[in-house]
Amino acid sequence: MAPQEPRAGEAPAASPAAGGRQVWRRLLARRTVLAAGLVIVLLALIAAAAPLLSAIEGQDPTSFHNDLLDSAAGGVPTGSFGGVSAEHWLGVEPGTGRDVFARLVHGARISLLVAVGATLVQVTIGVLLGLAAGLGSRLLDQLIGNTTEVMLALPSLVFAISLMAIVPSDFPRPLLLTLVIGLLGWGGTSRLVRAQTLSLKQLDYVAAARLAGAGRWRIARRELLPSLAAPVITYAAVLLPSNVIGEAGLSFLGVGVKPPTSSWGQMLSGATTWFRADPMYVLLPSALLFATVLAFTVLGDAVRTELDPRAASRLRVGTARGADGPTADGSGGPTPTGPGPSNAAEEATA
Amino acid sequence: MSRSTFTPRRLAAATVTVALVVGVAACGPKADGGGSGSKDAAPQQGGTLTVLNQNPQDQFDPARLYTSGGGNVPSLVFRTLTTRNRVDGAAGTKVVPDLATDTGTPSEGATVWTYHLKDGLKYEDGSPITTADVKYGIERSFAPELSGGAPFLRDWLVGAADYQGPYKDDRGLAAIETPDEKTIVFHLNKPEGDFPYLATQTQFAPVPKAKDTGTKYQDHPVSSGPYQVVKNENDGAHLVLKRNPNWSSATDDQRKAYPDTIDVQSGLDPAVINQRLSASTGPDAAAVTTDTNLGPSELAQVKDDKALASRVGTGHFGYVNYLAFNTKVKPFDDPKVRQAIAYAINRTSVVNAAGGSSLAEAATTYLPNQEAFGYTPYDPFPAGATGNPEKAKELLKEAGYPDGLTITLTHSSETGKGYGPNLATAVQDGLKAAGITVQLDVLDGTKYSKTIHTVGTEPGLFLAGWGADWPSGGPFLAPIFDGRQIVTDGYNFNSAQLNDPSVNDEIDQINKITDHAEAAKRWGALDKRIGEQALTIPLFHPVYKRLSGKDVRNIVISDWTGVLDISQVAVK
Repeated sequence: MAPQEPRAGEAPAASPAAGGRQVWRRLLARRTVLAAGLVIVLLALIAAAAPLLSAIEGQDPTSFHNDLLDSAAGGVPTGSFGGVSAEHWLGVEPGTGRDVFARLVHGARISLLVAVGATLVQVTIGVLLGLAAGLGSRLLDQLIGNTTEVMLALPSLVFAISLMAIVPSDFPRPLLLTLVIGLLGWGGTSRLVRAQTLSLKQLDYVAAARLAGAGRWRIARRELLPSLAAPVITYAAVLLPSNVIGEAGLSFLGVGVKPPTSSWGQMLSGATTWFRADPMYVLLPSALLFATVLAFTVLGDAVRTELDPRAASRLRVGTARGADGPTADGSGGPTPTGPGPSNAAEEATA
Repeated sequence: MSRSTFTPRRLAAATVTVALVVGVAACGPKADGGGSGSKDAAPQQGGTLTVLNQNPQDQFDPARLYTSGGGNVPSLVFRTLTTRNRVDGAAGTKVVPDLATDTGTPSEGATVWTYHLKDGLKYEDGSPITTADVKYGIERSFAPELSGGAPFLRDWLVGAADYQGPYKDDRGLAAIETPDEKTIVFHLNKPEGDFPYLATQTQFAPVPKAKDTGTKYQDHPVSSGPYQVVKNENDGAHLVLKRNPNWSSATDDQRKAYPDTIDVQSGLDPAVINQRLSASTGPDAAAVTTDTNLGPSELAQVKDDKALASRVGTGHFGYVNYLAFNTKVKPFDDPKVRQAIAYAINRTSVVNAAGGSSLAEAATTYLPNQEAFGYTPYDPFPAGATGNPEKAKELLKEAGYPDGLTITLTHSSETGKGYGPNLATAVQDGLKAAGITVQLDVLDGTKYSKTIHTVGTEPGLFLAGWGADWPSGGPFLAPIFDGRQIVTDGYNFNSAQLNDPSVNDEIDQINKITDHAEAAKRWGALDKRIGEQALTIPLFHPVYKRLSGKDVRNIVISDWTGVLDISQVAVK
């Protein structure tokens, strides 16, 4: 999928200061959004309380339980539903007997932490470079523009895999994942911010500031950034789910977190061959991954709709499904196809 | 013999030995299916046998094939001086005559081996097979453009180290004499009691010089076996073999050759192969695979299906998966540390990680648990089924690590190969109980193989495996523990870098023995002696489980290959 270049001029010019509270209220009024929000809050709580939760269960994510496996049958868990019992609420892992519940809740930490961290990296780099391109000299603009182009054209999955492979193995893997996904996925944000900056730059209040003698940095900070907040938040909201998938994809391919650390992608990678013999083991991480990505996507889409008045009005007149899924109406806002990691996801699920 | 000429070939040795395990390892319904009702009828002639494989037979030149005992599909087309005994189980580890009248007559302390050809041997075109053709077949395997075979011929034959093959040097190899059409004599530079085993490899297949087309020969090799190649598409991706009218069972008591046609299809995904064999519909009912095992999850499914279970064959190929130490790296230079780790290993976890007790047998000996290899049970550091952390802690204390120890274990990123993350995690978990913290260092497949086999980059502790070229202790122990086989400028398999003159000397002494059973005993004793030094920690011996189609009959699985012998298979 070719990353779409956000077009200048079509950007929302909503004034964030005035609309912030209102947008928030409108968002909460939607039931799907509320549900998505709840799911995300719940996931965040689970992730934060992972050690506590597994302690309540009485298990930890790395201990082997060979006695719970049918060794002669390939190491499949004994008992039904993948070895579900009072001690092991969601069963145990085939081949090792590690507790699935404990691994899932600990895996949530990696998934969310990496996704949020990578999104922050992407947004920070994207905003800084976008502003620099929009405000800087023609040469700088061209340089950043070309670099962005290259970043967007890079087969990021392949690149991410090789990056993960060459970094010394004692480098903390979650941080590495965050950096790799973040550093490969800022292209879209940078383009968006540059286009916004170019159009905002022409507006009277910016011109006035410039005439008053404000420097570039001050203009960027005081005049542009507040107006950029809305589109950037929107874009970040759609980047986040694709980063969740990005992390899962890299871990699925065996270049993510190091064993015995668990992550959903790593669990899925081990589970794929077991989908017939132990369906539970495949369904659980898949379901969590699905719920997370769906919740973030719904939320991101809603934020986008609310912050982009034109898209919102068109949606209200037009179809209803717009609120629940990514729209393809080309109404100006960035599409939810994050540049890098979404490719990873496709490969991983293929 | 120059070391540099054989180092790159050792590389081939290793990689292909591994490939062989995957490639050759298989099984048919043996004892575990309760005798399998499918074997009651006498095998019938005729029909088409389909072979469903992952890897294409992209090498089909006898000079370039690296096989154990002549291979499975190749052995249908190429007859060799000797071959493996095509019977079930341990008796299948014997070497038997094929083109030759016996397994060879040694003289001058097993440095000279003489063979005589049987009468009435013919190629597919009806022309007679002569010893000159066998000699020529071996000579062309020395040509650089036809490389790929095992390194032994170059190492063993007198004056062969720098021989460049008959295309460059038409004087041939003086080490091979053919006094007449029926006699061939090999002169070796040292005693090799295992020479009859080497003579099972496809390099010993006759190649008529007039029909040799160099690198193109593999498109249509001249058959000496029961089948000839009628179609070879896309570099061996699809191979069709039909009966060779000039082959006669009168001169070949090993190959049964029941089907009229053998259709080898490759490039398939392992899951697809197993699914097709298990469904067994249409032509797949008469199908087998020569390179795809059942994985642990597939085994879990078979468990509940009696009919399917009866179609699973079990085999044992001589192989060991082990933890290897580099004794030049601290703290593994200290025997006490190595012993502590050996005591701490939880082999139950390890076996489960390798696919469970049906696919892996816990190992305490380096040699495979088969008599032919000289298996002598020993367990110098008894860890029991789940490890002995107390004893391990005690040893660590003696070694100066009273508060535990942090070490790094290097493993491959490839799952399902015995060097992957599953196994590494199982080792890690086991050592935790003994206060040993294991950090994992993962390398991707190719890089892993290169790193662990290069003296300069070899990590302190890593996962490794070894399979022999033939069922004997020699090719199992010598490359790993013979100090003269330490290779500093290429692929090195003596990872402990053991160079003990008494071990080297014992290897030389055993190589002189031509009685296999007697040699086996000595190999077993040597294995025990080396094992006590804790240079490696044997983890498990893999077991191969394979499905075959429901119309497949007469499945024979020898302990030589551990897989069903395609020359014995019949279809209903």
